[in-house]
Amino acid sequence: MSLDTSPVFGNLDWNVTPYTDLLREVNSSTIVGAGAASMLVLGAIAGVGLLTYRRWWGPLYRNWLTSPDAKKIGIMYIALALIMMARGIIEGFVMRAHQATALGTLTQEESGLVAPDHFAQLFSTHGTIMIFFVAMPLLIGLINFVLPQQLGARDMAFPVLNQVSLGLTAAGAALVMISLLIGKFGTGGWTMYPPYTGIDFSPGEGVDYWLWAILISGVGSTLTGMNFAVTIFKERAPGMHFMRMPLFCWTGLCVAIMLIYAMPALTVSSTMLVLDRYLDFHFFTNDAGGNMMNYANIFWMFGHPEVYILILPAFGVFSEISSTFSGKRLYGYTSLVIASMSIAVISFTVWLHHFFTMGQSAGVNIAFGIATMIIGVPTGVKIYDWMATMWRGRVRITAPIVYLTGFFLLFVIGGLSGIILANPSIDYQVHNSTFLVAHFHNVIIPGVLYGMLAGIHYWFPKAFGFRLSEKWGRITAILFVGGFIFTFMPLYVLGLMGMPRRSPTFQNPDFMPWMYVAVLGAALMLCALASLAWTFWTSYRNRRALAVPGGDPWNGSTLEWSTPAPVPEWTFPHIPHVQARSDWGEMKRAGDPWKAPEEYCDIEMPASTAHGLLIAGASFGLGFAMVWHVWWLAVLSFLAIPALLALRGMRVIEPRIIPAAQVEEADRRFRQQVANLAPVTRAEEETERNRGVPDISEFAG
Amino acid sequence: MTKPNTGELDAEDGAREEIRRYAVGFFASLLLTGGAFAAVLSALPTSWKVVLVCMAALLQIVTHLRNFLHLSFSGQQSREDLLLVLFSVCLLAIMAGGTWYIMSDLGGRMHQSDETGMAAHAMPDP
Repeated sequence: MSLDTSPVFGNLDWNVTPYTDLLREVNSSTIVGAGAASMLVLGAIAGVGLLTYRRWWGPLYRNWLTSPDAKKIGIMYIALALIMMARGIIEGFVMRAHQATALGTLTQEESGLVAPDHFAQLFSTHGTIMIFFVAMPLLIGLINFVLPQQLGARDMAFPVLNQVSLGLTAAGAALVMISLLIGKFGTGGWTMYPPYTGIDFSPGEGVDYWLWAILISGVGSTLTGMNFAVTIFKERAPGMHFMRMPLFCWTGLCVAIMLIYAMPALTVSSTMLVLDRYLDFHFFTNDAGGNMMNYANIFWMFGHPEVYILILPAFGVFSEISSTFSGKRLYGYTSLVIASMSIAVISFTVWLHHFFTMGQSAGVNIAFGIATMIIGVPTGVKIYDWMATMWRGRVRITAPIVYLTGFFLLFVIGGLSGIILANPSIDYQVHNSTFLVAHFHNVIIPGVLYGMLAGIHYWFPKAFGFRLSEKWGRITAILFVGGFIFTFMPLYVLGLMGMPRRSPTFQNPDFMPWMYVAVLGAALMLCALASLAWTFWTSYRNRRALAVPGGDPWNGSTLEWSTPAPVPEWTFPHIPHVQARSDWGEMKRAGDPWKAPEEYCDIEMPASTAHGLLIAGASFGLGFAMVWHVWWLAVLSFLAIPALLALRGMRVIEPRIIPAAQVEEADRRFRQQVANLAPVTRAEEETERNRGVPDISEFAG
Repeated sequence: MTKPNTGELDAEDGAREEIRRYAVGFFASLLLTGGAFAAVLSALPTSWKVVLVCMAALLQIVTHLRNFLHLSFSGQQSREDLLLVLFSVCLLAIMAGGTWYIMSDLGGRMHQSDETGMAAHAMPDP
């Protein structure tokens, strides 16, 4: 492209790190930048050091990175999401801290912790990370872990494809991460609207980092969607009719459908922008018949279903936990199914409400405004269903229930502010203000984040064999609720006072009290993050006391609670024959649920493979090379991907056989253990007496 | 359950028929792609070119669905296949129709009527 692009290193040179910025000029902005890069470097060194010191490289590679087991892939997705979430929350705190010090005057307009350009990078990475590399991996990970177990399936329909999807997501996340150290990220917000992000106004690597991270991880998400859909359609256990599926599987199905139909729109809009930037196309420029407004149109065709992709799994989690922890059957199963499917379809008809002010006529705005209000109805139905589920139940205030309560209180406020924004004439007043920022955080944090954390708390014993500390789980939940309230409620007020979003500075001193409240809230969010980390650590240290080998710590009613904890790789010794909705609960009613299967047979599991890892490496190389115009590496990586696919296609790959004897031995040991453990009543669920065998006479779900 | 879950096809089971289907699909796709390029490069009027390219694209979609994705309206899978096609068509219609609705409205408000609008916005190469 440009003349000074080196044929070997592309546009890379020694001036691209934040350390050179720091050497050039020392101020709070460059210190924050270099500090963040140092955290990345030190974190990486510490990680490598720990793995080497504990000799974990081999187990990590053999048991995790090359494993096509959906449960392990799910756990890896969640680990990735939690790491990215740490960065996202810290960035959020830095932004709040900046705005609390950003009161400018008419003579000196810019002040505050970070430079305006740095601030723009912060909100762009924060949004990109939180949507694509926190929320998405959290929900995809949780579905991967839970879905096959709830369906009574051995595994996903395409285990190795699953691995590839994880690899692509991780490659995208790595691109965003490395932009801390090498070069800069884009400054166009998480949506990266042209023409600002076109090559004329944003030369350099920033927007390209975003584009390639999104393109690569977007392909991964599309493939995941197909995998989920095929699994649900084809891999259900015998007798698991659609209307017997747990609600979480239903929401998984909705997510799969939306991923399949929505993600391509994002791929298309990003590809068009790539063509604009690299090959001088004119899709989104004013020259040669281009139209930048079409970018907003295509992007939100993805973006709106995406919002519901994020929220529906959380709705699924809340359906499961509201029933389990109230000791009651889920109220209104059919209405919840219909509501989920309606949301999935209606979510494709509302995308214009993200750009009411773009300039189309009132008629168009009204059509989409009405559709937007309609989509609130099924969501309302769900809230009532969960409340009715808990009504007169024996509710145990566990950590997931604290999240659920926070969700009830806050999500309704967020939903209602959404209904307000659905009115185009009101949207004209508050769009592009912090009112909007408050609105979408108000649905995403109490919705997605609380839901996913509640789900992690709920299913954690199934994955690792011990419960998470209830005390610290509740403290974390309360901190997240409090942190949310203090951070984002002031933003509603600020928005109504006229504070624009994404603004690095402002001149109105009236904003300041609210800014201080918000930065206090952000500090609470940081505490919540630390408390979350502490929950994992302290529970790990007390894992013996918290162990639940019986596998059913909450007296659940769905199939996944019938297996040991941690669940063996083959999940079920014998694929269950499902007789009823919430089959495990019906077996508890019928008497002896832990009956051994009559016969055991060999189990075929997909063999471990490095395929996903290699594809991830190649796609990371492709993205990085394209960002820095290292053409030889780009070509090489691009060709490596089909070569790897062809290579795997040409080899005969034998599945791994787990002999019946081994399965039988493990299963009999489990049944013996369950028979020896003392059943625990609901009242003692939190104590050490809970070994994962509930008192089935108490079951009422 | 010992059904293989690695997605391997039985080698003997209709392999010839499979290959024939894929080959037919491949050559049909090749022909339709080539045809679209030929239409663009030809001396036909623009509206004809657009119609031809769209026709080729639709036919190619059908080819892919039939020959590569094994969709059919008879046999065990027909009900699910039909649902899938109808659902996809519905969503694509929403997306394409919505885009048309929005962008044409915007164009109208920007006085971007076909001839003059293009002329006003097209810039000569520098």
